[in-house]
Amino acid sequence: MKNKKSKTGFLVLAVLLCLGIVWVCTITGAASVSISDANRILLNKLFHLNVSLEEISKGNITIIWNIRFPRIILGFITGAALAVSGAGYQGIFKNPMADPFVLGISSGAALGAAVGIVCHFTFRIGVFNSTMLLAFAGSFATLFLVYSISRVGRRVPVATLLLSGVAINSTLSALMSFIMMMNKQSMDQIMFWTMGTLNGKGWNQIAAVLPWVLIGLVIMLLSCRELDVMLTGEETATQLGVNIELVKRKVLFASSLLTASVISVTGIIGFVGLVVPHVVRLLTGPKHRRLLPVSMVFGGAFMVICDTAARSLTTSEIPVGIITSICGGPFFLYLLRKSKKGGGVV
Amino acid sequence: MKNENQTMLSFSHAAVGYGEKVVLQDVSFQVKKGEYVALIGSNGTGKSTLIKCVSGLLPLTGGEIEICGKNSRKLKARERAQMVAVVPQSYYVDYDFTVEDIVMMGRNPYIDFRHRESQEDREIAERAMKLTKTDMFRNRLYNQLSGGERQRVILARAINQQPDIILLDEPTSALDLHHQIEVMELIRQLNEKEHITVLAVLHDINLASRFCSRIVILKDGKVKADGPPREIINRREIIPIRVMDEKQTAKPLRIHVICGEKGGVRILEQLTNMGHFVSAGVVNRESDDAEICEYLGIPRIEINSFQTVGPEEQEKNLELMKDADAVIVADIPFGEANIRNLDGLEHVKGELYIHRNIRTQDFTHGKLQKRLEEIQKTKEIHFFEKFNAGDWQ
Repeated sequence: MKNKKSKTGFLVLAVLLCLGIVWVCTITGAASVSISDANRILLNKLFHLNVSLEEISKGNITIIWNIRFPRIILGFITGAALAVSGAGYQGIFKNPMADPFVLGISSGAALGAAVGIVCHFTFRIGVFNSTMLLAFAGSFATLFLVYSISRVGRRVPVATLLLSGVAINSTLSALMSFIMMMNKQSMDQIMFWTMGTLNGKGWNQIAAVLPWVLIGLVIMLLSCRELDVMLTGEETATQLGVNIELVKRKVLFASSLLTASVISVTGIIGFVGLVVPHVVRLLTGPKHRRLLPVSMVFGGAFMVICDTAARSLTTSEIPVGIITSICGGPFFLYLLRKSKKGGGVV
Repeated sequence: MKNENQTMLSFSHAAVGYGEKVVLQDVSFQVKKGEYVALIGSNGTGKSTLIKCVSGLLPLTGGEIEICGKNSRKLKARERAQMVAVVPQSYYVDYDFTVEDIVMMGRNPYIDFRHRESQEDREIAERAMKLTKTDMFRNRLYNQLSGGERQRVILARAINQQPDIILLDEPTSALDLHHQIEVMELIRQLNEKEHITVLAVLHDINLASRFCSRIVILKDGKVKADGPPREIINRREIIPIRVMDEKQTAKPLRIHVICGEKGGVRILEQLTNMGHFVSAGVVNRESDDAEICEYLGIPRIEINSFQTVGPEEQEKNLELMKDADAVIVADIPFGEANIRNLDGLEHVKGELYIHRNIRTQDFTHGKLQKRLEEIQKTKEIHFFEKFNAGDWQ
């Protein structure tokens, strides 16, 4: 029981740490808004406390409440979604190198976004603009394409799934490059999209992704036990009463929903979904009931920190995808070396 | 209320194949409640395939399998896992699960995705761990256990499934003899005390005859023989299938070992482990040699401790040597009490191997030397110093 208590304590600490990070990142930024002003705005807006905002300029209120804070929340959602999605893929594929983009849904999204940017579509549905919609459609079309290619009768072997993912990935990337070549005037815009950024994203985008992310998270959290059993091998899982094909479909769908919904808004943000679950697994062990929630929290916090760096390090914005990859890549290599010495899987 | 003669597992004309290749043609037999059945057959006869069919990994191409009276084709994975648990060969898991985690997975077929393990589930797991004595290392990582311990954990997981039937697929083939016996003994206890029906694929007919109540032999995709071990093992048509160990290429030998107190333990164990058919004599009751014979199910001639081997015993001893391909005299001291062990050795058909050391442990005042010389007149004696397993393959 002592063990259980310390686990709960650990989780509470993690949540507090994340709240702290969110707060620190809200008061950090290029525009100088004093800490007390920022606090007052947050207290007033978040908790409807009777804190007077009269002495604070309209501009500062907008910066904090309509720019920085929603951006941080979106960053948190994005990081959390990508990390859980990565953990899901790693569980299904039993492959430590699996990440949210293994099946090529990122290149599907990129292709969709590129088409949207090039064609200058202006249609929108609710909070979704055309680029978002096309990116979302692109990722799901890719997922179904890869899934149906890999299907053998009623089964979907994971090895085939991975390989067709790789193949489709490169095909779609090539198509996107082709579109970029043919539309040189849109090249920068497409490039920026593929590097991923939270710049200029706000409450609207949060409203657009949150429902899908919640659906994805709920499905994932309800699949914890089955995912655990799947880690011991598909045959064993079947013999332990898991309908493995159903679990695969369920988790693939949920992971892809998580990834597709956030990247259709932010563009492609790499390495969060690969690195965070690995790091968390070192802390929590392989059981998904703890791995998934902690990944969620860590992924979100990691993303918020990276994004704060992205908008504060230089006077112009650095796409956050670049920051995550710069931090994530070497860190992953470090883990890999460490695990090589230990002889275990990361 | 349970009918003791209830059929737990019924194969009727079961056929399976991978693509074009037919593995099982027409397998029909039934397993009753509480039986402990060994499935034996040389490699590629489809023993493991049959296990896979029962556990739902492979579809049948013909015939039917009924599990507890239910058609196997119509079972969902979850229902099946409540009735059938599988213990495969010892294996690793790529992730750092603790022993308790692995055992708890056995409850998976009973818990739906909306719920967590209940107190009841935990109690059942607790009992499974106690039965297999895995509770003392429940917090250790599964991957860091020895082969025998891992196998006990997998067995605990199987018990945790509260199955009616446990399927074993060469559960001990990766283990050394000591752990093999430990695991098999545990399974026998489960079979006897918990009345769990067991169907086991075993490659070792000695292991099978020692532990199982019935042996089914598969050959060419069909049931070749079916019956209690004693009956099966002595049937002429079975002899060619006796050696099942894939590491072994040579045919098994009939070997008689002359020992007595404790000189024969190692030889008896190794030869049996290699799949040879070993007999022993004349051994003293309650000696180490007698104990290992008892453990390994080796036929033997016994006398009471401190009793002298008389002509009568030696006659029985020679009877056992009659069909032996080889007779080995182990590293034992000879005295007045056991010198008769060497009587009549000149007439045995098989090769004669005698340990060099017996001449330095001679308490017979020259009788031993005389005996050896007499034997050598008509029979070649191979003296050996070390018992090398390789020489007997």
